[in-house]
Amino acid sequence: MSEQVRQESVGVQTGETLVDVNGLKTYYDDGGIIDSNPVKAVDGVDFEIKRGETLGLVGESGCGKTTLGRTLIQLEDATAGEVLFDGTDVTELSGTELKNWRRNSQMVFQDPESSLNDRMTVGEIIREPLDVHDWETPQERRERVRELLDVVGLQPEHYYRYPHQFSGGQRQRIGIARALALEPEFVVLDEPVSALDVSVQAQILNLLEDLQDEFGLTYLFIAHDLSVVRHICDRVAVMYLGNVMELGETEEMFANPKNPYTHSLLSAIPEPDPTADKERVTLRGTPPSPRDPPAGCPFTTRCPMKIRPEKYEDIDPDLWVAIEVFREVLRERARAEKSLTEIAKEKLGMETRFSDIDEIRTELFGDLDVPSRVREHVEVAANHVEQNDEHAAREYLADEFGSICDAEDPSMHVVSDTGRTSNCHRHLPDYQEPDEFTPYTER
Amino acid sequence: MSVTDDPEEATLLERIQDDPGPAMRWLAGALLLFALEAGAVVNFVTGLFGPGMELPTLLSRELIPNNGFQTPAGVWKETFLGLSPAVAWGIRVALVYVYAIVCTWWLWRGYLVFREHYRYADWTPRDDMIDRLRGHRWGQFGAVIVFAFVIMAMFAPALGPTTVERTIQDPYSYTVDYYDENGELANVTVGQANLGARSQGTPDQNVGVMQYDEYGRFHPFGTLPSGKDMFTFMAAGARVSLFIGLLSIGLSGFIAASFALLTAYYKGLVDLAVVITGDSIMSLPRLLFVMLLSVVLADTWIAGIYSGGLLLALIFAATGWPILWRAVRGPAFQIAEQEWIDAAKSFGQKPRITMQKHMAPYILGYLLVYSSMSLGGIIIGVAGLSFLGLGVSAPTPEWGRAIDIGQSYVTTTSWHISFIPGILIVLVVTAFNALGDGIRDAIDPQSEGGEGEGSEAVAAGGGGA
Repeated sequence: MSEQVRQESVGVQTGETLVDVNGLKTYYDDGGIIDSNPVKAVDGVDFEIKRGETLGLVGESGCGKTTLGRTLIQLEDATAGEVLFDGTDVTELSGTELKNWRRNSQMVFQDPESSLNDRMTVGEIIREPLDVHDWETPQERRERVRELLDVVGLQPEHYYRYPHQFSGGQRQRIGIARALALEPEFVVLDEPVSALDVSVQAQILNLLEDLQDEFGLTYLFIAHDLSVVRHICDRVAVMYLGNVMELGETEEMFANPKNPYTHSLLSAIPEPDPTADKERVTLRGTPPSPRDPPAGCPFTTRCPMKIRPEKYEDIDPDLWVAIEVFREVLRERARAEKSLTEIAKEKLGMETRFSDIDEIRTELFGDLDVPSRVREHVEVAANHVEQNDEHAAREYLADEFGSICDAEDPSMHVVSDTGRTSNCHRHLPDYQEPDEFTPYTER
Repeated sequence: MSVTDDPEEATLLERIQDDPGPAMRWLAGALLLFALEAGAVVNFVTGLFGPGMELPTLLSRELIPNNGFQTPAGVWKETFLGLSPAVAWGIRVALVYVYAIVCTWWLWRGYLVFREHYRYADWTPRDDMIDRLRGHRWGQFGAVIVFAFVIMAMFAPALGPTTVERTIQDPYSYTVDYYDENGELANVTVGQANLGARSQGTPDQNVGVMQYDEYGRFHPFGTLPSGKDMFTFMAAGARVSLFIGLLSIGLSGFIAASFALLTAYYKGLVDLAVVITGDSIMSLPRLLFVMLLSVVLADTWIAGIYSGGLLLALIFAATGWPILWRAVRGPAFQIAEQEWIDAAKSFGQKPRITMQKHMAPYILGYLLVYSSMSLGGIIIGVAGLSFLGLGVSAPTPEWGRAIDIGQSYVTTTSWHISFIPGILIVLVVTAFNALGDGIRDAIDPQSEGGEGEGSEAVAAGGGGA
């Protein structure tokens, strides 16, 4: 089934680009007057979606994939960049133009419990988009709703039922029928099956594939379930912290991930074969705050394949990991909420819960053989921390142990014949390719 | 089946044409009930354009008169079937309430007929709410008292043993017949008779509950210190209280709902502006502010309408909306986060219709709960103002004024003057709160049994006056 879809859509792909996203940024500003530091949910994204294909969008929670989807259908205002839909920049549309354009792109929401108004009958829910756009006559609208109910696998007599009377899977079918009512070309599927039972997931996915065949739909499929993505998507974009890290053909990427982040993400898929010898990359820590992303590569703080400065090229991988963790701890501490008492204590030079840097140092470096050229820098940083100047400590460590990964935002590199792109400094000719490099934690 | 090919797509009218039986039977009953009171409606409508047209009506005092005189032989003249005024009055009151109950029951039957014969949906979420209300005894207690109160207000002219015009507004233009001590049929003005029927706290100057005065007039609730009939006073006062209460709660509910929907939909600056306005109003000491306003505006034209009742309603609405708005703002924000709001945005639904269709139904229930609870507060507030000599001006009856007038007689034989209005206020306010509780449990079964923070907030709000 999915094979067939892929082949068909390849035929159409040669045609044209339906959605072209250039330098798209969506920031959430809390409207704080004094300290306006917006959440950079989508932070400069470029990609295109071909007519008739399914583009998957994966990434961990909070990486901005839902915001990206919502910006594409203009539920959020873009902060910068453009979304070209069939050549028109939809971020510039407003009023009647925007309303007319909305017919072209619809969304299927994640939670079928929340996406249907419980006080309306199923018929009214599916009819509403038709009413809004004055579609034909009321009589024809009702017929269309019955037709749609049939298309998504429900009964026409469900018209006068209420959403309460349906199961999760059926509710999601109603949501799909509503999205299809206006015959859109482009549908954003925001984790359409993640709230459903596993047994129902497959039915909904098959329904979505059938509908794509029947109506020539273009999908943006947002998901965090990688096996679902592999099943349904033609191409996949991997997102991390508001950036697309890697983008390419699904099978190819799953078989051979190029970007370090994709590599770690895919290694998290459980292997059904217990005898298989599979290396698993466990990422340490949590993603940085999207209010304050790293200056260089977004993945630099957790990357297991980070480029080392030349002079530390030769040190023990365990020691390198310890140094990285040490920096991570200091970063995390900067993010911690400090109470007023703690700030006051800090100013008065008193002991706070943040000042026990020695313990951390012992824990990280205690068992390791630390050469003096590393030790002296760690000590300088620790001294800064003890004097309650963590900022200076972080700066110092960044200067000493930082590399191109900390300093420069990598650009997209084409990494395969099919035009797969990956966002990593290791694709530069000076460095070892990520897929040839063994993560520090694995050595 | 004949109107369209697909019977499921007929309008309500067409559905009724297809199967007219149940609807016609219901309609016939409704018309019959209406015919009994048609005279009152005609009278009211023509009364708007001049002197009202008098038509015989079942529940009128003309059909069942209770005012008459007793011959020395003990026979009652001019009363209904020669019964004593107390019995005649009792029959009329009973008839009014029976009529009201039958009407309400008929409306309920109408709903059931619709549900059974003409509604497409087998089940709607509202059915569950009604079922839950059916099993809610405390809410039903409230509903019964509120019903009695509303009927008392609606049918005030028919319920009183006499009319407001005869005994309160213009007592010297009307007369009563009676047999004087010489056994002669004499004639005296109502005002004169009232002087003889005063309740002044002494055993020989008191007409208490369920007593006759010396002119053969029956006083179910006794008389006021001025000798005026108190039941007439109370029934008319109920009308005033209900008018002020409903109008002000309606207005503040409308303002509260509009603001809650707007702030929840647009958020940001709109919300901030309304929060600041609402909180500023809430931070004022309400009773003092209401008193200030009613004194300052006392000489304007608006204070002349309905003896200041309209002005009071407006003042209570203007100072009361933030309480209701606070109560529904939270639910409105919660609803605004639902994905179906996003869905509506995504296909370009107009904000106004989104608020109306997708948000308003969810906050309406809360609004109803808090409205019924703060209605009690307003009734207390109006009574409190009248008690202080502000508010609804004399001679228009108001419960609070009766309490004020009766104050000095509380420990005497004329205790009824303060006691009855006081007890009635307590009962009505409790009933409105109980009804609110019932509605809340009906729309939101999770909150069942708990004394929500809502009722406390409302109690605090209502206790201001």
